[in-house]
Amino acid sequence: MSTHGKSLHCQESEDAAAYVLGALDEPEFYRQHLATCTVCQAEVARLQPVVDTLPATVPPQSAPEGLRRRVVSVVRAEAELLRVAGHEADEPPRRGSRWRRPRGAVLAWGALAASVAAVLAIALTAGSSEQTRVTNAQVAVVGAHASLRQVGGHSELLLAGMPQPPRGRIYEIWLSRGAAPQPTDALFGVTRHGSGAVAVPGSLHGVKEVLVTSEPLGGSSHPTSTPLIRVAV
Amino acid sequence: MELVAAGDANAFEVILERHADAAFSLAYRICGRHAAADDITQESCLAVWRSGARYDRGRGSVRTWVLSIVHNRAIDALRRSGVRDRRHAGDEGIEDSLEANERTDAQAIENATSREIRGALGELPTEQRRVIELAYFGGFTQTEIASMLNTPIGTVKSRMRLGLEKLRDHLRGWEAVGT
Repeated sequence: MSTHGKSLHCQESEDAAAYVLGALDEPEFYRQHLATCTVCQAEVARLQPVVDTLPATVPPQSAPEGLRRRVVSVVRAEAELLRVAGHEADEPPRRGSRWRRPRGAVLAWGALAASVAAVLAIALTAGSSEQTRVTNAQVAVVGAHASLRQVGGHSELLLAGMPQPPRGRIYEIWLSRGAAPQPTDALFGVTRHGSGAVAVPGSLHGVKEVLVTSEPLGGSSHPTSTPLIRVAV
Repeated sequence: MELVAAGDANAFEVILERHADAAFSLAYRICGRHAAADDITQESCLAVWRSGARYDRGRGSVRTWVLSIVHNRAIDALRRSGVRDRRHAGDEGIEDSLEANERTDAQAIENATSREIRGALGELPTEQRRVIELAYFGGFTQTEIASMLNTPIGTVKSRMRLGLEKLRDHLRGWEAVGT
């Protein structure tokens, strides 16, 4: 196949259309190929704008007003947290210092979180039929922040600036009703940018705290490390 | 977007106001359920807020970027749920659900462009339009589509490519395409 009238050819360029449509079974292989193949780069650059128009074919709908309110509520809370904590708090942790957990730093962040909590511990917005409650978390990782969003009977932990779990470990959510924290099946990592949104399984009825610890892959039945995140429910 | 990247909540609200409807519409088109579309749109909007610094003006408009985030999350959710047999959530008549006084001039222009693109998609041969829609809105891989349609995978690839080529030809006059 020629590209733009050039006689250049790459057999892999047959996959360009499926790639831009997100239909390749193993897109990573083609992504790596793209890094070095100018023919395929040109083909993707030609077809991607076409795919980018496809959302315009969707029948328009109005976003629910409750959705806007919930998003704005979380954004305003996080903006305030960022303002109080300083902009460096939102920057990715420096390599080698991500798991800095000296007692002083943890306490300092805990104190900061507590002071900020007075400002934005809970954001309440009235949805069309249900309330959204956003509770700020205490996070023992410098530069990270987390909040618990509760809508109706559903809860979600929102994370930003968290480091990836160390190799061979994974984050686990626990529910504490006063006695020993109970494990959940919520095991998770975060994106390479440190963000994440994780559903908290089950009801929070009677739960006093939602905790997150770092555990071996597969999770644990009892916490094996100090909680990194604590949310008072 | 520079202000959003700097943590300006007011600037983000402007972005939200401009693109929330399009984001919700796309999420609903893909997942076919109101509650799921609501969740996906919320997650996507928060992702836009938290990753505003990653927006690259050279790679497209803010709307294209926002909708690519919505698309990725909606398809991920669809694949996770394993529910892959719906997603034709009442294509007809939804336009009429918008109140006339909600339509600004900008929306009217946008809707005209949408009609043009929808028309171009509708003019594709059925088999080409089908593989494009199954891939983009259904989240199916080319192997899955080949299996569903009982068609060789090479044919599926060709239909995707020919369909996109024809769409591109249709839309060549539109300045955003092919530039």
